[in-house]
Amino acid sequence: MKHILTLTALAAVTLSGVAGATTYPLTFTDDLGRKVTLKAEPKRIVSVLPSTTETLCAIGACDRLIGVDEYSDYPQQVTKLPKVGGLYNPNIEAMVALKPDLVLVSKYGKLAEPLSQAGITVIAVNPETYDEVFSRTLLLGRIVNREAQAKALVTKLKSDIARVEILTKNAVRKPTAYFEIDPTPYSIGPNSFMGVLLTKAGARNIIPVSMGDFPKVDPEFIVKANPQLILGVDATTAGARPGWASISALKTGRVVTIPSELNTILGRPGPRLAQALLGLARLVHPELFKADVKK
Amino acid sequence: MEGAAARRAPGLALPLGTLGLAALLLLAVVLGTGLGSVTIAPLEVLGALWRGATGQALAGNDVIVWQIRLPRVVMGLLVGASLSVCGGAFQGVFRNPLADPYLLGVASGSALGATVAIVAGWPRALIPVTALLSALGAVACTLTLAREGRRFPPTRLILAGVVVGSVLSAATTALILRGEDRARQVLAYTLGDLGFSGWRDVLTVLPYAALGCGALLLLARALDTLQLGELTARSLGVPVERLRLIAVVAASLATAGAVAYVGVIGFVGLIVPHMVRLAFGPGHRTLLPLSALLGAALLVFADLLARTTPLSQVGIVTTLLGGPFFLWLLRRQTRD
Repeated sequence: MKHILTLTALAAVTLSGVAGATTYPLTFTDDLGRKVTLKAEPKRIVSVLPSTTETLCAIGACDRLIGVDEYSDYPQQVTKLPKVGGLYNPNIEAMVALKPDLVLVSKYGKLAEPLSQAGITVIAVNPETYDEVFSRTLLLGRIVNREAQAKALVTKLKSDIARVEILTKNAVRKPTAYFEIDPTPYSIGPNSFMGVLLTKAGARNIIPVSMGDFPKVDPEFIVKANPQLILGVDATTAGARPGWASISALKTGRVVTIPSELNTILGRPGPRLAQALLGLARLVHPELFKADVKK
Repeated sequence: MEGAAARRAPGLALPLGTLGLAALLLLAVVLGTGLGSVTIAPLEVLGALWRGATGQALAGNDVIVWQIRLPRVVMGLLVGASLSVCGGAFQGVFRNPLADPYLLGVASGSALGATVAIVAGWPRALIPVTALLSALGAVACTLTLAREGRRFPPTRLILAGVVVGSVLSAATTALILRGEDRARQVLAYTLGDLGFSGWRDVLTVLPYAALGCGALLLLARALDTLQLGELTARSLGVPVERLRLIAVVAASLATAGAVAYVGVIGFVGLIVPHMVRLAFGPGHRTLLPLSALLGAALLVFADLLARTTPLSQVGIVTTLLGGPFFLWLLRRQTRD
């Protein structure tokens, strides 16, 4: 037995060096902290996280998807796949009925246990920080034996991001910004993956690191911070809030709602990260992108 | 409950209690206006108030004091006073120590209305309107269910309130699950929040609070008589059924007005009257006004805690502090 394992390991090293192919069984720790072993290359995959769905398609494994959650709507072809519910109302029976050999889940939603008991391999892949977007893309590449494509995607993403960053880095004035993701109000901290994008888009986030990644904000803090740019609220709503008329962004009219498509992409830590950054950078620094407005 | 406190001279309890609680209230207002995510010195607070009141230009922290904190504090006062007076009155009307303003389904009705508005994405200005309408609808529903001829027997009323409340809460939960992306906003509402309370909101709540609480304060003497028992009260000339109806409508008005703007703030209406009763006796002529003072002060303190700690919402603070206190009260009463 020991010999076989050693041999397998050796083969894995050799093969990965030569062809960049994954060897199975593949064992690793997933985002639920469980040790998972994938016995063979998965061919029938259910994805219940839109970002995972997008990543799989971007690395050339879209044809292996046999079912997705009801929020997965990109790329176009996944919209025709059977829907297996959402995070809070997953349809486990539908998932089992599809006879998948792998279900990719979020670390929230408690799907791992019932599906495992039904004999289905479950892996939680759940990027939450900026860096995790890349590491999980590579992991998905290993899982579906598309390592080269995953590496290429990561390289492409990073260079697309760098291209936007070059523009915003040279921006003369970087506005202080408040980004509202929920009118309660909730905002984003600089270390969250959206916060990293906001900074890369050339804004100075008014939320300090100490407040956390997705803090509920005291309205008077926002008034005191007096941001030059407000994202995620419409001007009428913002103007109607007590004391907000005195905020610099409202005086200069720099209160910008996020278009709904961009909002969707911004919420998905997946292959459209660079696209999300570009959209955000256009809102923060419209003057830098004047040339391609006509496109 | 009818211990020594009840026999204490009512003539002295009111002025003494009023004085003490008024001082507490003043402290709450001063601290509530001065402290927060930005600390503002008392002199600066006074300066800001003066500049705002005299119509001068607001500078620096003035905006925070005058347009954000003060309306928030005043809203806390109004809501705290309303919920507490209503709680005291409900406990008297139904002669039930567990009664509180949310008893008749007001809160769940309000929450459902607000949830509909939030999930549908209607403008913020419409949220209180739908909340108020559905709150009044819920009360009407409870009253219809509980009605027995022209009477509203307390047990039936409470049972009907619980049932209506549960059904409406289930509907609210179903809606929250359907509108996942707005779930947090709905959740914040159902947990009670004073954030974003402005002067316009205060002015909208004021008439509800004044009308509702005013009416209840006028009923205090009749409520005292009712404590002798329904039959005795009737024979003493108290129109029991009419008293009950007026009290319910008045309390619903005040509660719905408060709930519509700041959401569901638990336990204040239940606990404040008990605290006042323990300290100053059960007579409603002292109980109701002192509950207003204590409730107002407590809610401002609770909101201050919410703003400056990770508890983040006033409803969470009142429930966390109020729950254990209530259990202690229950144990104490059973031991007596």
